[in-house]
Amino acid sequence: MPLAGRRVRALLVGAALVAVADPAPALAHGPAKGPVQAPVAGRLDFVPPAPGSYALPALGLAADGEVIDVESGAERLHALYGDRLVLLSFIYTHCADAEGCPLSMAVMRQVGAQLEADPGLSSRARLVTLSFDPVRDTPEVMREFGRRIRNVDADWRFATTASPDAVAPILDAYDQSVQLEHDAHGEPTGQLAHVLRVFLIDAQKRVRNVYSSSFLHAEVMANDLRTLLMEADADVAAPRPDEAEARARADLLALARRPPLGLPPLPWPADGGLTTDRIDLGRKLFFDRRLSLNGTQSCAMCHIPEQGFTNHEIATAVGIEGRTVRRNSPTLLNVGYAKRLFHDARESRLEQQIWGPLLASNEMGNPSVGAVIDKLAGLADYAGLFEAAFDGRGPGMETLGQALASYQRGLLAGDSPFDRWYFADEADALGESARRGFALFTGRARCAACHSVSRERALFTDDGLHNTGLGYRRSMESPPPVQRVRIAPGRYVDVAREIVASVSEPRPADLGRYEITQDPDDRWKYKTPSLRNVALTAPYMHDGSLATLRDVVDFYVGGGVSNETLDPLVTPLDLTDAQAQDLVAFLEALTSPGVEALVRDARTAPIGDPR
Amino acid sequence: MTKLTTALSAALALLLLASPSRADETCLSPYMAKIVGQEDFVYVWTLGIEGLGDGQDKLVTIDVRPDSKTYGKVIQTLSVGGRNEAHHSGLTDDRRYLWAGGIDTSKIFVFDIHTDPAKPRLDSTIDDFVDKSGGVVGPHTFYALPGRMMITGLSNNRDHGGKSALVEYTNSGTYIATHWVPTEGVGADGYNYDVRVQPRLNAMLTSSFTGWTNYMMDFGKMFADPQAMAAWGNSMVLWDLHSRKPKKTFSVPGAPLEVRWAWGPTHDWAFTSTALTSKLWLVHLDADGEWNASEVADIGDPSKIPLPVDISIAADDTRLWVDTFMDGTARLFDISDPKKPVQIYSKKIGSQVNMVSQSWDGKRVYFSTSLIANWDKKGDENDQFVKLYHWNGKKLDHEWTVDFIAEKLGRAHQMRFGSYALFGSPDATSESEAVAAR
Repeated sequence: MPLAGRRVRALLVGAALVAVADPAPALAHGPAKGPVQAPVAGRLDFVPPAPGSYALPALGLAADGEVIDVESGAERLHALYGDRLVLLSFIYTHCADAEGCPLSMAVMRQVGAQLEADPGLSSRARLVTLSFDPVRDTPEVMREFGRRIRNVDADWRFATTASPDAVAPILDAYDQSVQLEHDAHGEPTGQLAHVLRVFLIDAQKRVRNVYSSSFLHAEVMANDLRTLLMEADADVAAPRPDEAEARARADLLALARRPPLGLPPLPWPADGGLTTDRIDLGRKLFFDRRLSLNGTQSCAMCHIPEQGFTNHEIATAVGIEGRTVRRNSPTLLNVGYAKRLFHDARESRLEQQIWGPLLASNEMGNPSVGAVIDKLAGLADYAGLFEAAFDGRGPGMETLGQALASYQRGLLAGDSPFDRWYFADEADALGESARRGFALFTGRARCAACHSVSRERALFTDDGLHNTGLGYRRSMESPPPVQRVRIAPGRYVDVAREIVASVSEPRPADLGRYEITQDPDDRWKYKTPSLRNVALTAPYMHDGSLATLRDVVDFYVGGGVSNETLDPLVTPLDLTDAQAQDLVAFLEALTSPGVEALVRDARTAPIGDPR
Repeated sequence: MTKLTTALSAALALLLLASPSRADETCLSPYMAKIVGQEDFVYVWTLGIEGLGDGQDKLVTIDVRPDSKTYGKVIQTLSVGGRNEAHHSGLTDDRRYLWAGGIDTSKIFVFDIHTDPAKPRLDSTIDDFVDKSGGVVGPHTFYALPGRMMITGLSNNRDHGGKSALVEYTNSGTYIATHWVPTEGVGADGYNYDVRVQPRLNAMLTSSFTGWTNYMMDFGKMFADPQAMAAWGNSMVLWDLHSRKPKKTFSVPGAPLEVRWAWGPTHDWAFTSTALTSKLWLVHLDADGEWNASEVADIGDPSKIPLPVDISIAADDTRLWVDTFMDGTARLFDISDPKKPVQIYSKKIGSQVNMVSQSWDGKRVYFSTSLIANWDKKGDENDQFVKLYHWNGKKLDHEWTVDFIAEKLGRAHQMRFGSYALFGSPDATSESEAVAAR
C-alpha cells in the first residue's frame, strides 16, 4: 500500500523553543489537555508520600559514556554526576511535543526551584540534561538553551555528545529508544519519537527511579531526592540472617538419639546411621523444588511444616502440572517409626520410599533415577555435600534416599499433655474431658484396637490395614445431583451435576491395599495412621474427606460404611455427644509442643528454586 | 550500525506524538503507545496440550490485517519448551517487548515484537523469578510502569497457597523489589491476582485469586473439596503507587479478578468482577476523599456459577464486556452510571470463553477460550479458538475463527495486539494508525 494511503493521526504542538523558553508558567496553570490522566506539571491530585517513608530500590548501575558538558567541559557522564544525587533528563531542543521535552524541562525547572529553596538538598543534588540530537544540539546550542531555562541557583548541567554514534550507546544503556518521525507523506518531520524518561541516580551511580510523562511531578521527585539523602545519612546496621538461622536450627540428631517422652527408641538405620551432615543435607533436599521435573515440586510442597507436615488446604494432593493424586498427604511427624509406608503400605523403608513420589508422573514427575541423580550432580550448591555426608560417595540412588530419610527420622514429636500425664505422672497435664476421652479411646469406643497404646510407649498405630468403608463408598457412590460449593466465607451455592461434570476429569479408582496384593479381601484397606499431633494434620482419612476430628469421631460412631470386607472392628458405637467431645479433647491432647521447633528448624533450609 | 543510527536511517517511523487517547488496548498501562487504528497482529499466548502437536507452550501470531492474503490466519508459532501454564502477558512501556508468564513453572518469556512485528523472537527467558523474588510463585500480570514491569504473583514457594506479592523488574530483566500483599488488618488475606494503576491519583489497585494448589488442580476436584474452596481470596488492596505501601484493604468476597480503571479525567473509579460470586464491583473515590468498594450488579445467575473471568472497558467508559466462562457467553454492560451497570447485550461465543480484547475504537472484539489447563472443559466441550467479531453498536458479527485444536496449537489464552506502525517498519503494508500516549 502506498504510504500516502496511510491514515495517520498527529497532533504536533507549538514550536519547541517557544514552549521551553519559559515553560513553567505556561504549563503550571493550564489544565491538562484532552483526556490526559496525569496532572503532569500542574497541580498534584494527591498528597505524595513523605520523604523517607518509603524505599527506592536500585534498578541497576547508571551507565557512563562520553559526553560534552557545555560549561565545565567534562567528558564523561559519571564525571558530570560527581558525588551528587542526580536527576538526568534526555531531551532535544527541537522537540515540538508539549508533553515531551518541554514538559520534562518544565518539571525540571520546578525541581530546580525546590532545590533553590532547600540549601541542604541543593548542595547535594544536581540536575543533568543531555541531548539525544547532537547534530542540531551542538555545545553552543545547549549552552544557550541552558542559560535560558536553568534556575539561577540550582546546580543544573547541560550536555550533548559529539555525534549520533557517541550518544547511541548511552541511549541503549538507559533503554531510551529514539526514532525519526515522518509525516503522512513519508517526509521527515524533524521530530524524534521517544518515550519521555527522567532518571533518578544516587551518589553510587545507581538508578533509583524512572519517571515518564504520567509519573513526572516535581514535588514527588524532590521528595525522592530527600528520601535518598535520608537513606545516605542513616547508619543502618546490616541484618545478620545467619545468626537467626543458627538459633532456629534444632539438634535433630540429639532428638533421634533420645526421642521425646512417650516415644520408643528410634529404629536406627544401617549404612552408617544418622549424622548431622546427613540430616542437614536431607533438610536441604526436602525443600528443593528442583527435585521435580519442572522445578515446581519439593517434598515440602505437600508436607508443609506449618501445616503439620501435610497440607490443610486440600483433601488429596496435587502433583506436577496440577495432576491429581488420589490420596491425602500423610504427616511426616514421627514417620521414622513407621514399619510400612504409603496409605496402602506398599513400601517398607524411608530410603526406598522417596523414589515413589520422585518418579510418579503425577507427583514430582521425574523421568528416571538417573535424571534425578544427574541433575543433583550438576547443581553447584550441592557440590561436595553428598561426599562429606557419605564418606566420599556422591549423589546416588542410595545416598539420596539416605539423606532424605535422615532428615525425616529427626522429625520426632512427643511430650504431649497426654504423654506427661500418662508416662510422667503429671496429674495436671491432662484435662478432665481428655481423661474421659482416653478412657473411651481404650475402652468402649475401641479406638485403641488399631491405634495402639501400651504402658511403655504410644505410637497410636498397629501398622496394620483396615477397611472402614470410606474407600468403598468413594468407589461405589454416584455423584450427587447437585454439588454444594463454597463461593465465599459463609456463602454456598448448589451447582448442578452437569456443570461440575463439564470441568471434571473422571475420578480415578482407588482400591487401597488390593492394588498391591491383588487379593479381593484387601479391597479398600488402608494403613492405620498414628494419631500423634492429629489436631495439626487436618483434613483426615486416606482421602482427606473428613474436615475435623469431630467428623472422624462421628464417622466411627456411625459404624463406618457397610460393605463386604468392612473391618469387624468398625461397628456402630453408642456414644453421647458429650462422649464424642471427650474423644476429641483427648485427640487434641496428643499435640507436641516440640512441633514449633521442628517448623522453625525446617525453615532454616533455603528453598531450592531454579536459579 | 548502532541502534540510534539504525533508527535515524529508518525509512518510516510512524510513532507519532499525539494526544493520549483511550481505549485493550483499553486494558494496557495508560501511558504507553497505543494502536488506535487497525491492529496488524494478535499475539496469542498459548498453552501446550499433552499429545497435541508439539505439546508445549507457544506464542501464536495471527495476521489480522483485513487486506492481507493471510488475514485471520496463523502466520507464526514460537514454541518455548515445556508446559508452564502459559497465562497472561504484558508489554513494556516502550512496547518493544512482550513479557509472557507461566504460572506453574514461574518462567517468564520475553519476546521481541518490535524488530519484526510479524515474527516475534524469543529475546530472553527469566527462569529464576521465584529465587530472585524471595519465593513468589506464579507471575501473572505484567504491567508497564516507567522503565519497569510490575508483576503480580499468585502463590509462594513455601506452601503453594494464595499468599503472594508484587514483584518489580526493570525492562531489561533485572529484579528490583518484592512487595508482599498485606495479611494484617480487617479483610486482609494476602492473596493476589491483577494490578492496575491510576497515576493521576497515585493509586495502585490489586485483586485476589487463589494459590498454585488450587489453580493447578482439576476444577471438578476443587469444587468438591471444601478445604480447597476455603482457600480463595476475598480482598482488594489499594496501594500508594509511589511508595508501594498498602493504604486500604477492601472486602470483596468471591475472588475479584481483572481490574480496569476508567479512563475519563474525572472518573475516579475502577471495575472488577468476582469469579465465584458473579458480581461486578466498583472501587471508587468518594467526595469525602475516601476510597470505597461497592457491589453494583449481578453477572448472569450467580447461583449457577457462570464464572465471570475477563472484562474489557470501552474507551469512553460507557460499556464493559464481561466474559462468563461456564456458559461461554460474552455480556455487554452499560456502565454509563458506574454504580448501576445494566446488561444490554449477550452472545454465546462457544462452549467456553475466557479472554476478551477489543480494539481502540471498540469495533473489533477478539475472544479466546482457555481459562487454565485443568479448569478448561473436558472432552467435546473443550473448545479452543480465537474468534474475531465486529461490533456495530448493536450486535457482534462473526468474522473468523482460528481453531487451536484443529491447528494443533493448544489452549488459546491471552491476546495482545501488535502493529508495524508502532515501530516504523519499512515493511508495513497495512493501514495503520498509532499514537504515543505517554
